[in-house]
Amino acid sequence: MPAPAGAPAIEVAHLVKHYEVHHREAGLLASLRSAFSRKRESVPAVSDLSFQIAPGERVGFLGPNGAGKTTTLKILSGLLYPTSGRVRVHGYDPQHREAGFLKSVSLVMGQRHQLYWDLPPVETFALNAALYGVPEDTFRETLGELVELLSLQGVVEKPTRQLSLGERMKCELVCALLHRPRLMFLDEPTIGLDVEMQVIVRTFIQQYNERFGATVMLTSHHMDDVTALCSRVIVIDHGRIQYDGDLGALVRRVCPAKQLVLKLAQPVPRERLAARAEVASLTEAQATLRVPQEALRTVIPQLLAELPILDLSVEDPPLEQVLRELFAGASPLGGPAA
Amino acid sequence: MTPWQERRRAYLAMLRVEFANATHYRATFLVFALQSTMPLIMLAVWWAATEDGPIRGMGPGDFAAYYLASLAVRQITASWLVWGMNGEIRGGGVMMRLMRPVHPFLAYSAESLAQMPLRLLAALPPMIFALLWLGSAHFTRDPLLLGLFLVSLAGAWLCEFAILVTIGTLGLLVESSIAIYQVWLGVHALLSGYLIPLTMIPEELRGAVALLPFRYLLSFPIEVLLGSLSRGEALRNLGVQWAYAAGFLGVALAVWRAGLRRYQAYGG
Amino acid sequence: MLRYLRLLGTQLRLSLTLAAQYRTDFFLDGLMSWFWLGFNLVPLLAVFAHNERIAGWSFAEALIVMGFFAVLEGLLESAINPSLRSVVEQIRNGTLDFVLLRPADSQFLIATVRFDFWRMLEVPGGLLVIAYALHRLGHLPSIAQVLISLGLLLSAIVFLYSLWFMVVSAAFWVIRVDNLTSLFTSVFDAARWPVHIFRGAFRVLFTFVIPLGLMTTAPSEALLGRLAPSTVWISLGGSLLFALFSRLVWNRALAQYTSASS
Repeated sequence: MPAPAGAPAIEVAHLVKHYEVHHREAGLLASLRSAFSRKRESVPAVSDLSFQIAPGERVGFLGPNGAGKTTTLKILSGLLYPTSGRVRVHGYDPQHREAGFLKSVSLVMGQRHQLYWDLPPVETFALNAALYGVPEDTFRETLGELVELLSLQGVVEKPTRQLSLGERMKCELVCALLHRPRLMFLDEPTIGLDVEMQVIVRTFIQQYNERFGATVMLTSHHMDDVTALCSRVIVIDHGRIQYDGDLGALVRRVCPAKQLVLKLAQPVPRERLAARAEVASLTEAQATLRVPQEALRTVIPQLLAELPILDLSVEDPPLEQVLRELFAGASPLGGPAA
Repeated sequence: MTPWQERRRAYLAMLRVEFANATHYRATFLVFALQSTMPLIMLAVWWAATEDGPIRGMGPGDFAAYYLASLAVRQITASWLVWGMNGEIRGGGVMMRLMRPVHPFLAYSAESLAQMPLRLLAALPPMIFALLWLGSAHFTRDPLLLGLFLVSLAGAWLCEFAILVTIGTLGLLVESSIAIYQVWLGVHALLSGYLIPLTMIPEELRGAVALLPFRYLLSFPIEVLLGSLSRGEALRNLGVQWAYAAGFLGVALAVWRAGLRRYQAYGG
Repeated sequence: MLRYLRLLGTQLRLSLTLAAQYRTDFFLDGLMSWFWLGFNLVPLLAVFAHNERIAGWSFAEALIVMGFFAVLEGLLESAINPSLRSVVEQIRNGTLDFVLLRPADSQFLIATVRFDFWRMLEVPGGLLVIAYALHRLGHLPSIAQVLISLGLLLSAIVFLYSLWFMVVSAAFWVIRVDNLTSLFTSVFDAARWPVHIFRGAFRVLFTFVIPLGLMTTAPSEALLGRLAPSTVWISLGGSLLFALFSRLVWNRALAQYTSASS
């Protein structure tokens, strides 16, 4: 049941998911008792989610731990079935795991591996090409492009166990994309990677999206992943959508204060800064202040006049802070949809 | 490519990769082969017991042929599939397997079959030793029976595979199916002829045991190889064996569907 | 001493809690230990169904050997193997250091890492089998005979633990030792039977190389009053020497391991 052209890549309507959880208490007696009978509890993971994602979009899922991001991702990839609600990916119902569906998507999870440890990655690549029904010439072409994009020349013929962590991660990405999926699910793709590798992965996903038009759905704890890749974010908290829309608009709405970063020629006592604005952080050489957008015009000249400032920049607040304030209820949004 | 050509290409690719992978675990095969001491110990015991006269028509030479054949057959049909599956389920690797557009049973069967060349290599020494030491008198020389032996070997492998994959899948329904697997191994050793030839089982129980599927996992192929069965009997029992194989496969597929459903409820 | 007892208590409690978490395993482990008891008896029954004596042993006498085997196997499967598997895993993961940091003798700590409770049922089960066999023979062993056989049993346990420590020491260097445990269990299987059943090369193997004969056949012969006194001293002396040697190897391996940890 593939979708007609022009239809959304992902359709979610009133998605609900409850888990049945076993109650586990600490202690020897409780453990022994639990061996004979367990208490069951129904824990809601996701309640009434609705959204649509168009083909080629890059969307980030944000939310605190346990908010329901990974649950939603697993439902969309068919690893979980919903308690109720309607889910369509490329027109398929993911839980039925039809071949057509599986061939059109790809799941990349930061800690999971597809590559055979003792064999060179090319072996796993060739296997996947056969499993996904990729014709030989398309396979060679795609492989060539991906190897070039990720600078993996000469690497893919060595056994996986001989590769560095970064090379392995890149090869895992190649493996996941060989069949040119129309949709990529990325769950914590940069976890455990150093900063350089994180940048490489982000750039690659962006290039892949631009070159092949694949839809990207991303969950990540690294805010930089989301800021760099996604123009649209869906914020989930307590299993509900708190915000669905443009990332920039979210930042402005939740945290209207800007960050003022001052490079200082000499150390400045905190009280002098606090007199003008809220001090976020202060070292001998640098001060970060929070200033409301409207106040910038007056505060900046005052600071420049009074303090030994070498350099000054105005930045958007970090996403972490935006989310913290969002989830702390400091800035109510008044409704889920953007 | 037609769908059938695609499936064939996929299966051959799996076989190729799994074979390449298996060669990296040659040492494990060797150790596994060396571990099968139970038949040899039992052989020593029966040898001592039948020194003064055969029991139920089996003398020392017959026991030797039996247990050496049993070693060879066990090499071919056994598999550590259950350990692998439980490891995948506990470690979360099952997620990646589920995202592939191929039924996991096909993947597991490819993994198992790809090991066959190495298993055959491990099965040869006891057979060669038996032929050199005992001569071919204890083994059938009827070409039809030898052919049926090979078919019964395949049938035994299929039955074992279906049962093992079922037990492995139970790991999706209960926390760990390793314990269930060990129970099965124990019962299997008793009733399949691994520990004692089924002819040694007391009269009253023999009828029932002969009908149980365990016999068809090990004892039956050996009986064919040792020429204990006539052509007619061999053919008839072959039918029963393959009927069991089909039945077990059906059960395996049903258990898999149930296990998958449960996995999709909790996500592991 | 008290500290060690308390430590042992904690370890035991921890293992029990762990065992209770995996519910099905818990039940099946329980079933299994009784099953193994029965399992051990079937080949014996089958072999003796047609013979009065095999290699000079009657059914009831061979049953005693089987009983001692069950006792040792129970100990092996409940105390030795679980700890061994656990320790090998910890060496692989590099988490062994946490265990070794505790202020007690390293060998004690390592040996008490993990217990599999239900398998311990085999021990009293084995003793029951021995008692039944003696009853069937109408033979009541003298105090001396009981003491000697217990002494030999103890010597066997010391030997097993020493062997165990050698294997763990090897794990520091070789890492992939899991196969060694199952290999050992397979070979140990031969101890079910009186050693006199084995002929030629195997008899030599099971008496001198891997003294299975001493572990189960000797204590049985002691109970039956058939044991040559010299065997007792050989067995005890040999085990002690082996234990000392094993402790040397262990300490050497441990020193190398802790100094090499980076």
